[in-house]
Amino acid sequence: MTSAVTEAETEDRAARPAKAPAGVTAGQPGGAGRRPDRLSRQNLAGWLYSTPFLAFFLTFMAFPIVATLLMSFTDFGLRHVTHPLDAEWVGLDNYAALLQDDKFLTALFNTGYFVVLGVPLTIGCGLVAAVLLNSGIDRLRTFFRVGFYVPVVTAIVAVAVIWRFVLDPSEGLIAGLGAQLGFSTPDFLASETLAMPSLIVMAVWRNMGTAMVLFLAGLQAIPAEVREAARIDGAGPLQEFRRITVPLLRPTMLYVSVMTTIGFLNVFEEPFVMTDGGPDDSTLTVSLHMYEEGFRFFHMGSASAMAYVLFTVVLAVTLLQLRLLKDKTR
Amino acid sequence: MSRNALSRTTITATALVLSLGLAACGGGDGDQVGADAKQTLTIWGMGEEAKRLEEVAKDFTEKHPNITVKVTPVGWDVVGQKMTSAAAAGTLPDMAQMGSTMMGEFIALDALEPVDEKVFDKADFFPATWDNNVVDGVSYGVPWYADVRALYYRTDIAEKAGKGKEPATWDEHHALAEAYKKNGATWGTELQPGSTGAWQTWLPFLYSEGGELIGEDGKPALDSPEAVRAFERFGSYFEDGLAKKNFVVGRDVAKDFGAGKVPMFMSGPWMVQNLDEQQPQIKGKWKVAPLPAGSKGSVSWVGGSSLVTFKDSAHKAAAEKFTQFLTTPKMQAHWYEISKSLPANKAAWNEPEMQNSETLPVFEKSLDTAKDVPPLEKWTEFAVQIEGAMEKVARGADPAATAKKLQKATEGLVDQ
Repeated sequence: MTSAVTEAETEDRAARPAKAPAGVTAGQPGGAGRRPDRLSRQNLAGWLYSTPFLAFFLTFMAFPIVATLLMSFTDFGLRHVTHPLDAEWVGLDNYAALLQDDKFLTALFNTGYFVVLGVPLTIGCGLVAAVLLNSGIDRLRTFFRVGFYVPVVTAIVAVAVIWRFVLDPSEGLIAGLGAQLGFSTPDFLASETLAMPSLIVMAVWRNMGTAMVLFLAGLQAIPAEVREAARIDGAGPLQEFRRITVPLLRPTMLYVSVMTTIGFLNVFEEPFVMTDGGPDDSTLTVSLHMYEEGFRFFHMGSASAMAYVLFTVVLAVTLLQLRLLKDKTR
Repeated sequence: MSRNALSRTTITATALVLSLGLAACGGGDGDQVGADAKQTLTIWGMGEEAKRLEEVAKDFTEKHPNITVKVTPVGWDVVGQKMTSAAAAGTLPDMAQMGSTMMGEFIALDALEPVDEKVFDKADFFPATWDNNVVDGVSYGVPWYADVRALYYRTDIAEKAGKGKEPATWDEHHALAEAYKKNGATWGTELQPGSTGAWQTWLPFLYSEGGELIGEDGKPALDSPEAVRAFERFGSYFEDGLAKKNFVVGRDVAKDFGAGKVPMFMSGPWMVQNLDEQQPQIKGKWKVAPLPAGSKGSVSWVGGSSLVTFKDSAHKAAAEKFTQFLTTPKMQAHWYEISKSLPANKAAWNEPEMQNSETLPVFEKSLDTAKDVPPLEKWTEFAVQIEGAMEKVARGADPAATAKKLQKATEGLVDQ
């Protein structure tokens, strides 16, 4: 998620110097109706500054995105790895095959399950933690802030080790607690019904830190006068939260929910390190399935088609969110 | 989760497509460097073996001062992808250690140089290790070391349960598992019910019934009566509650074995050392036995690694010399000493290093009767299908119906 933020910023910065001189040229006499020369001396600096980014973006983002799209219409497989141009054009066959593929549909369903439960929980926990840190807890604030954020920056392998220990059915933390209190605990990761919820809990724990930090920033941007006014009007803490905090947090909420949803739709690491998609495909997600198809079996054509289906879903969900969570206070 | 999956796919896609251009720039096959010229031979080794290979390579350079060997270590978990990308980019080394199940893929990619059978004699090696590298009568790799599965079981718990005898058949194996369970073990035996690598567990059931993965007609033979029998037998352990139905990634069998929770499992020769080092408290309380016999005897399967030379290499003469060096009986026995990998060369088993061991004869016997895993281009997919079927049978699906479905799913994966 962080990489997306910096990318947007870089793009922003890259765009600005290119625009400013353009305005100057347009204002020059005799320039009426003439479009400013994009490669004029003034623009050159701007282009130069943005070249590193553009070169990087074109080679590692734009080109692969186009290449993947093209590949999704071919039967690119293992044998084409050494002779890529022998791949045959198959039109929409890959996409049609996906709709028939039970495994892909299971993966799609699992991903939906993960998002529908995981995103609201992450946002909810992040918001609650942020509100508490912002107003309730004075002492140890930094301690808690760090505590909630550490999982975000911890390597997934370390996280997996810890969570395997927590969920271990024989000597795990939960099993141990259960034994002390006298009830038996299930084998979470090995159960078809409990594996996915376990991964969701882990993902929420891992990602709520990001939401919390963003909400904290949002909370601090809410003017104290507004809160004060509400309190003078007789609002209790709950009312203040509902009528002041939540509406004024809307822009932050939009950003957090869009970024979290995109991240959750692309869920890969959790099932990859914890369950390998099992038991019986109950934690197989679209990204994991795509990875297996693409890099274990080298069905690049089919994997590319999956990538584009997922991309379309992400795009649709994001547009929907942008519409639903539009800032209505303006 | 922070990195998006789309870009992951696209990056590799770029790598593949970019490599197109690079591959075109690669040198031709024409200029071979003679064995006596000064040269550097590059070889990829896997995991721990790469480190030990480096030591051995020094001995080689002492004998052949004109040839420097450069060993590049590659992890077992990423080697498939790395080698495939290198094949695409034309950046393969001169030689590599190649895992037995990867052979089919690289033979299909036409990346390997055929073995000169005048230099390497098929009869020197265990049949299964050699057959693993042969497609259409041409051999593409020289067997380096062999992995063969055997049965590990706790003798102390078995005696307590009144079962002093080594389980020789699957029925006895099943009975021992029952006895273990009755005497306090959590599970009678370890059997991987599914997930990556589970095919290794099922293959002995199939082979010991006389079944084959690929039939004589070149099609999968996974719905044969033997295969159905293998699934039935495999499933019975789960049905009777003797093996755990649910597989958890990264579980440590040795730990449960040491604690007596799972007093029986099938594994390769490396486990001997692992158990000695990690579970010293059970020293002398466990034994290695050949895999239980089915109606066609005890038939294990052979894994391990071969040495391959790539087609694009310009140092084929030197590569042949190095391969010869590594597969002599003396070197193979020395290799066993430092890595505990079983020699693929039969004569090596007579060397002094290979004597005075209780477990080695078991593995040698198993190697003699073991069968190979046929080199298939789409082995990974083939294996995943088998693993899916195993998981279903372990969860109570009908073996015959599952085998039928499996046959259908795998038919498209094998070229006729």
